[in-house]
Amino acid sequence: METLELLLQGFTTALQPEYLLYAFIGVLLGTAVGVLPGIGPAMTVALLLPLTYSLDVTAAIIVFAGIYYGGMYGGSTTSILLNTPGESASIVTALEGNKMARMGRGASALATAAIGSFVAGTIATVLLTLLGPIVARWAVQLGPADYFALMIVAFLTVGALLGSSAWRGIASLAIGLFIGLIGTDLLTGQARFTFGSAQLGDGIDVVLVAVGLFALGEALYVASRLRGGQIPLIPITKGWRNWMRKSDWARSWKPWLRGTAIGFPIGTIPAGGADVATFLSYATERKLAKGENKKQFGNGAIEGVAGPESANNAAAAGVLVPLLTLGIPTTATAAIILSAFQTYGIQPGPRLFEDQPVLVWALIASLYIGNTILVVLNLPLVGMWVKLLQIPRPYLYAGILVFAGLGAFAANFTVFDIGVLFVLGVIGFFLRRLGFPIAPLVIGAILGPMAEAQLRKAMQLGNSDPMYLVESPFSIFAYGSIAVFIGLSIWLGARRKKYEARLAAETAASETSAMAAVDAEILEHEEHAEHAEASERGAPSEAGDRSDSPPDTR
Amino acid sequence: MTNVAQAPDAPTGASGAPRSFRIESMVFVALLIALSVGILISATTIREPVGSASAIGARAFPYAVGGLMLLASVALLIAQLRGKYGEPDGGEDVDLESGTSWVTVGIVGIAFLSLLVTIPYLGWPIAVTILFAGAATALGAKRWWMTIIVGAIMGIVTQVAFAVGLNLSLPATGVFTSWIGI
Repeated sequence: METLELLLQGFTTALQPEYLLYAFIGVLLGTAVGVLPGIGPAMTVALLLPLTYSLDVTAAIIVFAGIYYGGMYGGSTTSILLNTPGESASIVTALEGNKMARMGRGASALATAAIGSFVAGTIATVLLTLLGPIVARWAVQLGPADYFALMIVAFLTVGALLGSSAWRGIASLAIGLFIGLIGTDLLTGQARFTFGSAQLGDGIDVVLVAVGLFALGEALYVASRLRGGQIPLIPITKGWRNWMRKSDWARSWKPWLRGTAIGFPIGTIPAGGADVATFLSYATERKLAKGENKKQFGNGAIEGVAGPESANNAAAAGVLVPLLTLGIPTTATAAIILSAFQTYGIQPGPRLFEDQPVLVWALIASLYIGNTILVVLNLPLVGMWVKLLQIPRPYLYAGILVFAGLGAFAANFTVFDIGVLFVLGVIGFFLRRLGFPIAPLVIGAILGPMAEAQLRKAMQLGNSDPMYLVESPFSIFAYGSIAVFIGLSIWLGARRKKYEARLAAETAASETSAMAAVDAEILEHEEHAEHAEASERGAPSEAGDRSDSPPDTR
Repeated sequence: MTNVAQAPDAPTGASGAPRSFRIESMVFVALLIALSVGILISATTIREPVGSASAIGARAFPYAVGGLMLLASVALLIAQLRGKYGEPDGGEDVDLESGTSWVTVGIVGIAFLSLLVTIPYLGWPIAVTILFAGAATALGAKRWWMTIIVGAIMGIVTQVAFAVGLNLSLPATGVFTSWIGI
């Protein structure tokens, strides 16, 4: 009950016209930037950070909530409409949606993604609302040794278990930890790794790390291997009138709910957020599908869009549980949000719910609002997103460079930061070239100093006895869970590899005409009433027409 | 364990780890080893005030980080000697089939670095125009005058938006352009 009251108070704050406008701007910008190809959620948040520099804290946080959800959603539009092999991580998500778009069912794919994101986002936000205060109340009892244990778990799962290669992840994590070390040691006041530079004495701003690695690093990397020729955009051909067939609803609602059930818990544990969740959801949907629907997997099955997209958004909300209640980011995006909070003097953690109730509940309320704005905005504005996808690439990446420069310069108004950003960008460039994951580096840079502080506090409390670190039941549990995580990730990694290899083989074989045939066949077998309805709209004949012509690439 | 790196001769999207890629991977790992040794050595020179309260001083964490980096990079070295290399990142606009265009990367990098000079000497709008036009042209924009126009618009819009909307004043002019007198 208390929670409900606090939430209502949050809504009274967030629903003020001014803040509502900020939420709107946040969602719009987040989606717009997230839609741009080559820009993931982490880069979206990093690039838009400067916009919030001079807003008041509540407004800034509301804008962030919008950007976060908007950026998460924006990516799915890109993968559905752009006919290029995306990042290997999003391959399962993009697969079915992309195929649907090639059959001329892009509108349905976008719609099920949007509605699924809304359903999952709302349910997951409700869970966050209920769970947040409970976890926070419990977390207050945790001591420095417990926090240190949690951070070690986060380091290991993010660094070692999520990427394709454990050592590459740990190397990336170590670079991040090193970047976190640069600066003045808070406890003893000693300069560490500053090379005698006064400007490095304050340490390297995490915003610079994020913008440098994600924005500049990515821009340099794309510059080195820019895909030439036309932009292979898949046009949305069908009108919005029949964006979701009756059967689409019937086939979508269960995957939405299952996606939420898979995504949220995975988001809350330090297991890598959306990536793992989308994959698991896809595998589940594929397994549960029956008959013709199962055959359609790999050829544009709507369940394969509905499930992973919901899982993605549910995980995004789940990530906020450890971030807000423990102050521990489990994804790169969360790490950037955490650093943004810190620039406003807010320290997420168990005391946040007690110390800053107005702020926390305004944030949670604006998550609900942002989610609603998202679904209302996205479907009608899809034409605009398509236009964004058509931005000529030289202009797009030159623009990203401008905003990276803006982000670096506007943080402290010194060109020294531009130089630091450049160095980080070059590091990011080579990490991408050589297949090192970026996320562990960002997590290491932000969580490293916090882990060191907790470790030293714990050692002080424990009178320098290292055994103190493993004395509390919680820390024992945390270290024990590492073993479980390792086992799970080996199992998951093997499954995923098998899956992706199979998918790649199937995808290469399938042709648009065959896909349309499968789709038409399924439509054929649906109950009579709907079939009639569908043929009235001319859906099957349209699908037939399209099967003769190769997918439009313009 | 979950290593999906391909054997050198496997046909991969990375065109089977060509020689230049293997050399680059090796150099990078060598640099990492050098960095970790550097961290470990310079950690010994961090001053620790005598009688500091904590058992763990300012050096312990740097040692751990350097050690972790050394461990990981040596492990990578061994993996690469056995033919296990990483795979370059994919992406929507990334063409892994074609080779690296170092000239483009170089020009784009220089265009970005030019901000170091252009912001203090020419002011933000002109600095952005130069960065944008330089980078876009290097990336293959067809009409160079168009890149200048778009760059100038971006520079002015960000300048005005930050001044009006966010009350942050980017330097409108620099040392060489202060005569404009905005």
